[in-house]
Amino acid sequence: MNPITFLKAAYIVAWVVYLGYPGRILLRMGRMEEERKDLERKGTGSPE
Amino acid sequence: MRKLALISIPVTVVLLGVTSYLALEVAPTEQTMGDVQRIFYYHVPSGWVAFLCFFINFVASVVYLWKRSAASDAMAAAAAEVGVVFCTVLLITGPLWARPVWGIWWTWDARLTTTLVLWLIYVSYLVLRRFAAGGQTQVLAAAFAIFGFVDVPIVYMSIRWFRTQHPSPVIGGGQGSGLDPAMARVFLANLAAFTLLGILFLVLRYKLQVKEQALELAHAEAALKGGSQ
Repeated sequence: MNPITFLKAAYIVAWVVYLGYPGRILLRMGRMEEERKDLERKGTGSPE
Repeated sequence: MRKLALISIPVTVVLLGVTSYLALEVAPTEQTMGDVQRIFYYHVPSGWVAFLCFFINFVASVVYLWKRSAASDAMAAAAAEVGVVFCTVLLITGPLWARPVWGIWWTWDARLTTTLVLWLIYVSYLVLRRFAAGGQTQVLAAAFAIFGFVDVPIVYMSIRWFRTQHPSPVIGGGQGSGLDPAMARVFLANLAAFTLLGILFLVLRYKLQVKEQALELAHAEAALKGGSQ
């Protein structure tokens, strides 16, 4: 295999991880916000 | 905080774009390995940020055991996860560089093995935090992190202490080591960009952890209220 293929693969993997990770954090934040609102609706008060 | 994010996110993205261009197009081609050596500009900064995060995890864990503050526990959890992300990239880009240069994907030399062990230690730490039951999880995790950090200097020194397939240190090595000045400039620019990216991830993950703590507390209060009615 051409060495350039390995170079491209390394860069693609790195960028997939580095773009995917903050995306995952933001998704988790969104879910948590929904859960917090759900708790508030049930009348348990704000968690913050 | 929002203002800082509005400035730091575009700055980091632009900086990463510029440094990627420098690494792929501007840095001189290494004589023996050719273009594949350009993985170096991602591989080493990823390792550096992983080490930095594990160090922050270590300090935050010590502070937690001393002060028992929720903020230091949140920082420890955030730093461990971000460190694992960067260490994962390190462990993937390493074999992708090794295959065309060494002819093998992996070898059980001291540097590679201790790095894999390091990754496993912090993955175990995250699993422990996620699944351990009981009120002492944070204390247990902090103690685990302090012992786990011992592997970081071992990884760093492994290429100095042992004869390894992994190259000897290029930066801060002995006689004959060092980078071409044009390569060094590109490397330092990438190091700065990755450090900034790591800090951004850390801040974002820390905020998530603080929200998680608040939500856990709210759930506990809700359960208490439910129980007392």
